[in-house]
Order: sequence, then C-alpha cells, then structure tokens
Amino acid sequence: MAASVREKQTAALKRMLNLNAPLLKNTASEPVWKVLVYDRFGQDIISPLLSVKELRDMGVTLHLLLHSDRDPIPDVPAVYFVMPTEENIDRICQDLRNQLYEAYYLNFISAISRSKLEDIASAALSANAVTQITKVFDQYLNFITLEDDMFILCNQNKESISYHAINKPDIMDTDMEIIMDTIVDSLFCFFVTLGAVPIIRCPRGNAAEMVAVKLDKKLRENLRDARNSLFTGDNMGSGQFSFQRPLFVLVDRNLDLATPLHHTWTYQALIHDVLDFHLNRVNIEEASSTEASPAGARPKKKNKRCYDLTSADKFWQKHKGSPFPEVAESVQEELDTYRAQEDEVKRLKSIMGLEGEDEGAISMLSDNTAKLTSAVSSLPELLEKKRLIDLHTNVATAVLDHIKSRKLDVYFEYEEKLMSKSTLDKSLLDIISDPDAGTPEDKMRLFLIFYITAQMPPSEADVEQYKKALLDAGCDLSPLNYIKQWKAFTKMAAAPANYGNSGVKPMGLFSRVMNTGSQFVMEGVKNLVLKQHNLPVTRILDNLMEIKSNPETDDYRYFDPKMLRGSESSIPRNKNPFQEAIVFVVGGGNYIEYQNLVDYTKARQGKRIFYGCSELFNAGQFLKQLSQLGQK
Amino acid sequence: MNTRRRHGPRSNEDGVYLGPSLTQPQLLQQPDAPLSTSLPLAPPVDLGGGSCRDRTTEFQSVCRSLQGRQNGLQTNKPALSAVRQRSDFTLVAKRIGRDLSNTFAKLEKLTILAKRKSLFDDKATEIDELTYIVKQDINSLNKQIAQLQELVRSRSGQNGRHLQTHSNTVVVSLQSKLAAMSNDFKSVLEVRTENLKQQHSRREQFSQAPTHYSPNAASPLQAHNFNPGNSLLMQDESRSPGDVSIDMDSRASQQMQLVNEQNSYIQSRADTMQNIETTIVELGSIFQQLAHMVKEQEEVVQRIDHNVEDAHFNVEAAHTEILKYFQSVSGNRWLLIKIFLILMVFFIVFVVFLA
Repeated sequence: MAASVREKQTAALKRMLNLNAPLLKNTASEPVWKVLVYDRFGQDIISPLLSVKELRDMGVTLHLLLHSDRDPIPDVPAVYFVMPTEENIDRICQDLRNQLYEAYYLNFISAISRSKLEDIASAALSANAVTQITKVFDQYLNFITLEDDMFILCNQNKESISYHAINKPDIMDTDMEIIMDTIVDSLFCFFVTLGAVPIIRCPRGNAAEMVAVKLDKKLRENLRDARNSLFTGDNMGSGQFSFQRPLFVLVDRNLDLATPLHHTWTYQALIHDVLDFHLNRVNIEEASSTEASPAGARPKKKNKRCYDLTSADKFWQKHKGSPFPEVAESVQEELDTYRAQEDEVKRLKSIMGLEGEDEGAISMLSDNTAKLTSAVSSLPELLEKKRLIDLHTNVATAVLDHIKSRKLDVYFEYEEKLMSKSTLDKSLLDIISDPDAGTPEDKMRLFLIFYITAQMPPSEADVEQYKKALLDAGCDLSPLNYIKQWKAFTKMAAAPANYGNSGVKPMGLFSRVMNTGSQFVMEGVKNLVLKQHNLPVTRILDNLMEIKSNPETDDYRYFDPKMLRGSESSIPRNKNPFQEAIVFVVGGGNYIEYQNLVDYTKARQGKRIFYGCSELFNAGQFLKQLSQLGQK
Repeated sequence: MNTRRRHGPRSNEDGVYLGPSLTQPQLLQQPDAPLSTSLPLAPPVDLGGGSCRDRTTEFQSVCRSLQGRQNGLQTNKPALSAVRQRSDFTLVAKRIGRDLSNTFAKLEKLTILAKRKSLFDDKATEIDELTYIVKQDINSLNKQIAQLQELVRSRSGQNGRHLQTHSNTVVVSLQSKLAAMSNDFKSVLEVRTENLKQQHSRREQFSQAPTHYSPNAASPLQAHNFNPGNSLLMQDESRSPGDVSIDMDSRASQQMQLVNEQNSYIQSRADTMQNIETTIVELGSIFQQLAHMVKEQEEVVQRIDHNVEDAHFNVEAAHTEILKYFQSVSGNRWLLIKIFLILMVFFIVFVVFLA
C-alpha cells in the first residue's frame, strides 16, 4: 500500500474522467472535451479531491448536478458519476429520451444491481440510444477521503447511520440491517480501492461485531468467486510492496464517549470544534457593520467567508496537528519571511530603475534580466503564499476569539486532568457556576466527561447539586439521562476506559510577554503544552498491532476472509506485528482521535495507520444526538 | 412533486436513497446471485489496473436480449444514424486541438535538439528551421483560437446557457494550453541562448591558441558585439606592414578568411538572438491575452460545490431585501388611514347626492 487512499481514489477518478481509459503520461495527446454529471454523493466525493482547475485540465468543461435542469449539448460525451438509486436511474433514462448528449459513460459509485441495469437497457432501447451508452462501470468509490489517511463514509444523509440511529432504544431489526448494509457496502468499496484483503478484529457484543461479520461474509464471497474477484490481477501487484496484510480494527463509539466531548487544543481539531468545518472547507462569519435596520431584517450584516484547507497548503499540512500557540507563532514567522521576500522584489525593482540609466556592461544587464525573470516568475508563488497566510491569519483569529470568549483553555486543562485522574485544583462546581466561562454546552460537556471518567459514580446529593448548577447556567439535561443508562450498561462490561497518563503543564504568561511583536496577543490564555498520552482507541490499536496480550483486547474476535473455512475461531493466526492498520469507528469519530493516531504513528517508524468513521461530528453535534437519545 | 410511494424504495425529501423498499428485501442479495450463478453472463475481470468493474458487456447483452423479446411485439424503429451532425464549433475546436498536439510534438523535438551541448555537431540550421516553424504554428494557433472565440461570441444569442458555458470553457482551455506551450517554447529559447553563449566562449578559448602569434588579429575574437567595420579595420592593419613576406601575406589572408568566417558566424548568432527577442515579445502579447481571458473566468481554486454557497448567500440577501420592503410597506399606516378617509368621503357624497 505504497500509495495513500487519497491518491488511489484520485487516480480512479482521473481514470474515470479520461473516459475509462488508463491515463497516459503523454501531454501531447489531443484534448477531449466532456461534461461531468454527478449527484450529491458524487459531489461530496469529488470536491475534496479535485479542484475545478484540475477538472478543466482533464477536459471537463461543465460540471452539473444530476437533478438540475440541463440543456442539451448534442456533440459532447457526458460522464455520469452517481449512486445507483431509483431516482437517479429514472433521471438517466429521462436524459436518454431527451437525447441530451452524444455519448454516455455511466459510472456508478457502488455496484448497480441487475434489475436496475435492465431498467436502463429498456429505456435505452425505447429511446434508440443503445449505441450511445458507450461504457457502464462500477467504480466502488463509495467513501469520502478527507486526508491522506482519513476517510468518512458519507455526508449527505448521515442521520441514517449516525450514533443516534444506531443506538436508539426503539430501533427495529430491519432498520439495523439497512444501516449495517450501508456501512458494509462503503467499507467494501474502501478495501477494493485499497486493493488489499485485511484481517478483521472487533470487540464482541455490539454494532461493530455485526459490521465485522457482514464484511467478512461479503469479502469472502467475492474472493470465492475467482473469475470475478476484485482482488486479483493487476490490483494486487501494483501498489502492494509489503507482503503483509493490513489489520482492520473495528471499534464502536460506545467504547469511549468522553473523547468526542473533549475540548481540544490542536489546530485542526479546534477548527472543527469551534468553526463550521466540513469536507475540508471552513465557513467563517464575520460580523461587519451594525446598521440601524427595520425590524424583522437581520440585525447585523454578516460576511461569510469560506476557505479551503487542502493538501497543497504546506503550512496547513505542517501545523494541523500542532497546539494552537505554536500555530500562532508559526503564522507570525511565515508573515515575516513573506515580508522579507516582498522587500527583496521591491529592492530589485529599484535597482533595475537605477541601472537603466547607466550604460552598464551587457553582462550586468543580462544578469539583472535573469534576476528579474526569476522574480517575475516567483511573483505568483509569492501571491499564493500571501493568500495562504491571510487565510490562516483569519482562521486563527476566529478560533482565538472563540477561545477567549469561552475560556476554552480552562476547560481543556481541567478535562485533561479529569481524564488522567490527576488531582484537581479547582472544583467542578466552581467552573460550572462561573458565568463567563463558556457556553452552556461547554459546561455540559465538562460535566459529562466528569461523570463518564469518574471511577465511582458520584452520590445522589452531589449529582443533584451539579444538576442545579447546570440548570442555572442554562444547560439541557437530557444527555445526562442517556449517559447514566450507558454507564450502567457498560459497567457490566469491562472496567471503564483508562485514559492514560497525561500531564498538562501551563507555561504561564511569561513566555508570551517575550513575544511582544506577535500579532496574536494571547493575554490571559494559558500556553498549555500537551504531553503525549493515548486515547482508548489508540491503546487498543497498539495492543492489536503489536500482538500484546491485554485483557481488554484478548476477547476480540478474529476474522480472516481468505481462510477457506468458517471464522468461529478467535485465535489469531498471525504472530507477527502488523505494519499497516485501519481503524474504523462505528457510530462516529472526530479529529481528536485522528490526531492521536497520527501522533502514535509518528512515534513508530514504518507503520501506516488509516482512520475512518461512519460520520464526523464535533462535540456540539454529538451533544445534540445524546440529548435526542436522552429524551426517549 | 412527491408522489406517494407505498412500497417503493425509501427516500427523503431530496430524493436521496435511504434504503430499498420493504417489500423487496431480496434485491439486496441479488447482486451477488447473478454474478456467481449465471456465469455466462458475468463480465470478465477487466480492471485495467484499477478498482472498478466493467459492466458494458453485460449491459449490451441485456440490451440484445431485451431487443429480441421486443422484436416479436413491436415493429423495429429505425436506428439512429451513428454519424451525428457535428456543429462547426466542435469541428473547429477539434482541429485546433489536433494542431496543438502536433505543435507540441515539434516543440519536444526542438527541446531535445536545443539541449545538446556539443561544440561541433551544432545543428544550427535545423534548430533555426524548427524554431521558425514552431513560431509560425503558435501564431496561427493564436489566430485560430481568436476566430473561434469570435464564433462563440456571435452564437451566444442562440445557444443554451450550458452550451455557451461549454463553448467558453473550451476556448479558455485551448488558450491556456497554448500559453503553456508558449511558455515551454520560451524556456527552450532561453536554454538555446545559454548554450550559444557557452559555445561561443568555448570556441573562443579553443581558437585563441592558433592566432596567438599574430597579435593583430587577436582582438576581433574578443568583443561580443561586432560590426563589420571593426574587422575591416583589422584587415587594413594587417596589411599595413606593406612589404611583408609571402608567409605573412598568406597568413594574413588565412586570417582574413578566418576573420570572415568568424564574422559571418557571429553575424548569424546576432541574428538568432534578435529572432529570439522578437519571439519573446510576441509571446508576451499572447500571454497578456490569456491573462485577460483567465481573469474573466476566475476559477483557479474553486471547488465544484462552491456555487451552492453563492446561491445561498444571494438568496439570504434577497430575503433581507424583501423583508425590508415588507416592513416599509406595512409601516405606512398613515397612508392606509388617508385612503380610508377618502373612500368614506366619496361614499357619503354618493349616498347624500343620490338619496
């Protein structure tokens, strides 16, 4: 698996756009113009990977939604990238009847069933367009890759496979089946794209086990059918330099409910928590002017700015896992380097102006010409750099505003102490009753983490006291009901999750005072240094990858789809530590876990870890789901 | 329009698929069944180095079987002619694309030639020819693309909205490819000038030795920029020691020949450099045109879901405006009262005068 999942998915998309012919390196080939038609699923998959410019380079002149009004463009082929649902098939048949395009290349995101294929065939026959449908492909790309090593399942109707949907008490078996099938379909597509058959480990007794069983069955059936297997042939040989199979760890969200509620301190996770961030795009609202306006209209005019945080942005790649103060410093440094370069270009201009009057020697002129050409060609780079610096300045400022107004650093410190069971210097009640430390949501989160991580449940009187304080602060108490149920449920299972040791040292305000030139005046915000600690998911992964024996993970089931016989044995056959692993959280994940896994990978050479989840939520969204569950 | 579906597949408001219909649970298992049981119809493994499956042959066999079934029931509709009428736009665009790729191939050959650094095997004529050809090609392509743009502008009235966007994008994309090629061409020319300079300095080093013992003729080889007047001066100087031996004469004539050779050589070099300069200037104009075009489009770092946000923003702004207007309209209570009074007055007048 030398290439990352993102590269493989991008390569698959580019091949599809090249009219399903393999891509040649030859740039001298004739351009072929085409139209790309997608539905919302396809849009979500393509938008983090290919920008409009890259689409244009591939010859795509128009990109349109399937269910919009489309004019006929009679002499251009069209590439469709849609899910094989009833509505989409109907719309495709309608397009065939209306003869919108010259040729149709149909690519379905996941496998299309035989009956739907027959529907299209009959529509094509009645429209006399059979020769126009040039290719029909199953692309097996039903997942969204956000980072090189992180993927989520879907964004469009994620309510159907959310934590709430899986864990609600009145769920029916058929609903559960459908949810499981959706998840398994996407996971299957992921493994087909990756080109490897994994070894599956999962805990017992929850949704993760159901997913593992179904996935194992599906992989096994596909491998059994040697003629049609998707895992043989070129697929295995090309990217696969390691002869080991990857490890696929399925965990359930119920294993660790404190991490999604945790307040965080790293850049990417903070952006996700505090701002509106999804599919690698940040939306910031800047309240600009307050004008007197008639009643009923918006009180303030808000400017919405959106920024894309992509893999081409070197600053982002370097700093998305750094703690926030480091990010602030780095932005400042980048700004200084940029200003220095800008000054140099300006100086060059003035030199040129002076030398033009002299009858300088020709060699001097040519040298300057060369310098000028290099300066001119580096201007676009400089502009791009400036744009990125502006972007990060704005984003970091917005995050900083939130931190200051909600005192998120206090929460972070306190929660770290709670999770590592070190001594607390302030009582919980103080923080909850403090009126300007954070929104009611923040207080609720803190209290829930306290409740979850407490070794012994607090006494009833204490709980009542806390409840009163929370109600005074304006919190909604329904998540608490659900957490109580959950805690009672998991107490029957293993011991509560240990969050490992972590020490949080506040570096105090002195170092901040020394950076007086800093644009980010972080007075009053503590400069907290993160120490390395492992979240439960990381620990489980560590145990399984290194084949360590641990009471927590010894009981995990073991599936190997390549084995010929049944999978009832839970004895792992593989004695060597794994080099590659994929962690998947059923029920939702977030950037904090992802960051923790990335840090774990950095500490160990030669291991690759992918992180996936069925949906990505931040603490606010998770809290909403918990309150929905608690109200039942 | 949401038609009521009792047993069809379930979906939410957007028409997003949420699951199969409840009365057809077996559809989920069907994809597996036909692939494993009906082997004759299963497609052969055709991955092409990727992770997708080609269902085209399966589709075509389905079509054939359906057609066979339908043949007995209906009359055969005439099949659509395979050769469809292509619009002029597409034909012209295709031709330009083909020319572009040809020119690109020539440019690659030129690159290889220009990178050679050998002193004696310098294919100056070939390089010059190729340079000239490529320059002509770029110019003609530029004109063709400009014509295409005119064509698109003239057709903008009768084209549909999408067709117009498509045509514009095609023109812009052709221009950007041309600009990229011109860029490469420019760098090739720069490489060539560098090599020329180096060759010149090396030649000067090598040919410094034979003329070392005639200090008179040493100087013509040192100046970079040259004019014929200088060399004539040298020739006069070498002839001025009048009653020299025949040896000197022959040597002088030899040197004259050498000087002549050098002269024409350097002349050709100067010409080439001048050519290169003019070419760069012309390329600059092409760049400017393209920059203008690109500014109009401005799609460099957008993503495909960007328009949605714009539309949303505009709708919000429109909503605000409408609310404001509504407030202003409903706030005019005095207006309403006045109108009401006038109506009452008219009513009373009517009643009084008619009654």
